[in-house]
Amino acid sequence: MRDLCAAAVDAATGAGAEYADARVVHKRDQLVATKNGRVDRMTDAESEGIGVRVLVNGAWGFACDRRLNLDGARDAALRACTFARAAAGKHSRALAAVEARTGRYESAVERDPFAVPLADKVDLCLRADEALQGVNVIVRQVMVRARREHKVLVSSEGTDVEQILTESGAGMDCAAARDGVFQMRSYPSAHIGSSCQAGWEYVEGLRLVEEAPRVAEQAAALVRAEPCPSRFTTVVLDGDQVALQVHESVGHPTELDRVYGTEASYAGTSFLKPGDLGSLRYGSEHMNITADPTTPGGLGSFAFDDEGVPATRAPVVEAGRLAGFLTSRETAARIGAGSGGSMRADGWNRMPLVRMTNLHIEPGEGTLDDLLADVDDGIYMETNRSWSIDDKRLNFQFGTQIAWEIKNGQRGRMLRDATYTGITPEFWGSLDAIAGRDSWRLYGLTNCGKGQPGQSAHVSHGAAPARFRNVQVGVRA
Amino acid sequence: MSALDIARAALEAVDGEAEAVAHSERSGLARFAGSEVHQPTLIENLVVTLRVLRGTRAGVATTNKVDRDGLAELARRATVAAESAPEDDTFPGLAPAAEPPQVDGYDDATAALGPDDQARLAAAAIEAAGDTPVYGFFTSAASELAIASTTGLTAEQRMTDASALVVAAAEGCSGYAEHTAWRADDIDPAAVARDAVDKAARTKGAAELEPGVYRAVLEPYAFADLLDYFSHDSLGALGLLEERSYLSGRIGRRVADEKITIADDPLDPHGLPKAFDFEGTPKQRVVLIEDGVARGVVWDRTTAARAGNGASTTGHAGPVESRDWGPLPYSLSVAPGDAETVDDLAELVGDGIYITRLHYLGVVDPREGVVTGMTRDGTFRIRDGQIGEPLVNLRFTVSVPDLLSDVYGLTRRAALVNSQNFYGERYPYGVLAPALAAARFTITGNGSKPGI
Repeated sequence: MRDLCAAAVDAATGAGAEYADARVVHKRDQLVATKNGRVDRMTDAESEGIGVRVLVNGAWGFACDRRLNLDGARDAALRACTFARAAAGKHSRALAAVEARTGRYESAVERDPFAVPLADKVDLCLRADEALQGVNVIVRQVMVRARREHKVLVSSEGTDVEQILTESGAGMDCAAARDGVFQMRSYPSAHIGSSCQAGWEYVEGLRLVEEAPRVAEQAAALVRAEPCPSRFTTVVLDGDQVALQVHESVGHPTELDRVYGTEASYAGTSFLKPGDLGSLRYGSEHMNITADPTTPGGLGSFAFDDEGVPATRAPVVEAGRLAGFLTSRETAARIGAGSGGSMRADGWNRMPLVRMTNLHIEPGEGTLDDLLADVDDGIYMETNRSWSIDDKRLNFQFGTQIAWEIKNGQRGRMLRDATYTGITPEFWGSLDAIAGRDSWRLYGLTNCGKGQPGQSAHVSHGAAPARFRNVQVGVRA
Repeated sequence: MSALDIARAALEAVDGEAEAVAHSERSGLARFAGSEVHQPTLIENLVVTLRVLRGTRAGVATTNKVDRDGLAELARRATVAAESAPEDDTFPGLAPAAEPPQVDGYDDATAALGPDDQARLAAAAIEAAGDTPVYGFFTSAASELAIASTTGLTAEQRMTDASALVVAAAEGCSGYAEHTAWRADDIDPAAVARDAVDKAARTKGAAELEPGVYRAVLEPYAFADLLDYFSHDSLGALGLLEERSYLSGRIGRRVADEKITIADDPLDPHGLPKAFDFEGTPKQRVVLIEDGVARGVVWDRTTAARAGNGASTTGHAGPVESRDWGPLPYSLSVAPGDAETVDDLAELVGDGIYITRLHYLGVVDPREGVVTGMTRDGTFRIRDGQIGEPLVNLRFTVSVPDLLSDVYGLTRRAALVNSQNFYGERYPYGVLAPALAAARFTITGNGSKPGI
């Protein structure tokens, strides 16, 4: 792998590139999914190739080749240079200086998920599926997944790093229907469960079979529940929904490429400006957000990003004030701060982009019950069901799978079709409490989209239940 | 080697029943921002997916290592998967051999475009925008899909596609336009840029709007996006079987205004034609809603077998990575109306809002077809039948069936709107949609102003 990267870098610099990096990536994804007592999907996918990124006369070029041989490496390098030379624009792209690094990193894994027999995975899914049966339950689905990504990065500046990242994940969903009402309940998270950089021990720790009856009971109860009323009230969100709120309304707007408009044609831009750093009031004093690619088990954990920048923990919001952006070497150079460290590519055939790594909201104090205890009248919401946010990441609307009234500090009747909406800084400004370290969990998302051509990133968020005052809930069509 | 050669080679590596799908891509995407190309990406790949059967047990493996050793390893992994699966008495077996229809959808000149051409066509958009900064891309690709199976089925199709997309944006203003076709010569990137710039110029000074229910004109971009999201739950057989489709219990009943006819039409040369699906079943036109009455959904072999009511595949199995959605209509087509222009539709609306495109849709309630999202890059007030002052980006939450239940009119011309965001392997698809004027579109909040 290393020799091919070096050959590609040599070919690119020989063709006139002032900078080049090459990544050889081998990725394997395994998925077992069952639905209503049958195997629904059983796939084992691998993909490998080399991606070469060059700067020629200040213009970027990227090309890739699935052939892992010298011809493939050189062809990719030369085509990347051709594309860069043809690129329209004035181009004066500079990269923040980083020290050339060599090193190796591997995820901590107790039991290799690919060594677990497929038959055992099928058995686990079917046992959980069986335990999901219940009144009005019409769809039961369970899945387990594993990924291993082995990649080598070599650059013309002397960076030479190798990383092996292993992920394991699982989840289950249960749909119930009654009299035209359709409801979903998921565990541990919606939208393809939850994952970690870990081995099979993570899947076992989720205790899918043991959790399934509660999931089914709640799905069945939801089709009998009243809809969430429409009003302004106090909202308490579970950690899962807080994680998504952080992702959408803090993670994406603090990506500095979005701030500079380079995602304007697809994912959108940001309400933040470069000059907001250090001064913008993002939320209340309870709001502390940290980017941390060193988090054990995080899906965004690594030793080096895809530009070879070493992993570093850094504040993004401190006591409610904007304290940092997520950057690449190029965008860091533009603001003259830092040296990047958030560049990641979705495999060998995509160009690295500024992506979230692990973005956490730091814990506060107490428990979920403590948060509820200080609410006379409000709504407690759990597990994301729908999400949408505008192109500058200001106006958002989220729905959750399940909610409960809060009356006099206690959870009351169950509610369905709960939604809430707001404007990002106003919403975070209404944060008045977040639960403590004991309630703080890592939530792993595998469906973060960005870029053209599209790229999916895997990111984690540490989050705990949090309370927000005066929030609009129950949005109706 | 062609994709079909690779599929056949993969099949030969298996002992027993199997199906091989080979999917190749050669593409270039010249992405630009601030009127400079900043992310130019060239991709060449060939992926083969092998489904091995052991009786009614099936296992699937995928690779892009297509030499002898790579295919042997692929066969081994797919076989292990099949042998690890329990029996499935609803498994329909592999598709039989069949003759797919002859379709358009491949153009030699488009396939021949290389990085210099893709950069040149992106530059044409940038130059045409003049002083207004533009953000977008020009892309073109040649892709090939081939299937071979032990039932004797062989099928192959070469496809091309090209798109020019432009967001013209500066402080406080933005506009959008896009052209997609399977022939790059049918796309004029400069015209796309001029449309976007013209639209942007009209969005300066955008005002907020009181939330409420408004009459609305939706350009094809907005209408196509709504339909695409609605279709995932409501117009495929899996959603119907799992009772999350709006059409559940409503087949044969009126679900929309009589002006609304929606089909999946993979054979239409005005779209992005397809000859067969990812199981090798020939494609066909499927009427989904006819004159406002629900007629059916699209099916693949698995959902048809599980329905057990005489249903049969309509040729809508998707790529393996999308199978959890079941069969989907990849070639949605809305019958046009008789309005000449969007101005005519505004006249029908009288008082309402005009929406160019949508952003970040989310399904709030699949069973009721409720979708939320934002308007973007060209939202205007309609007053006295005229498109008037600009509005900020608006939060909407609408029931798609309710939107379609009271329609004032549609334009005579339908536009092909690209629906792929180029994740995974290149598989061109889009929606043929006219502009729409409807009586009810629910605005639930105000968002950011247009522009950067």
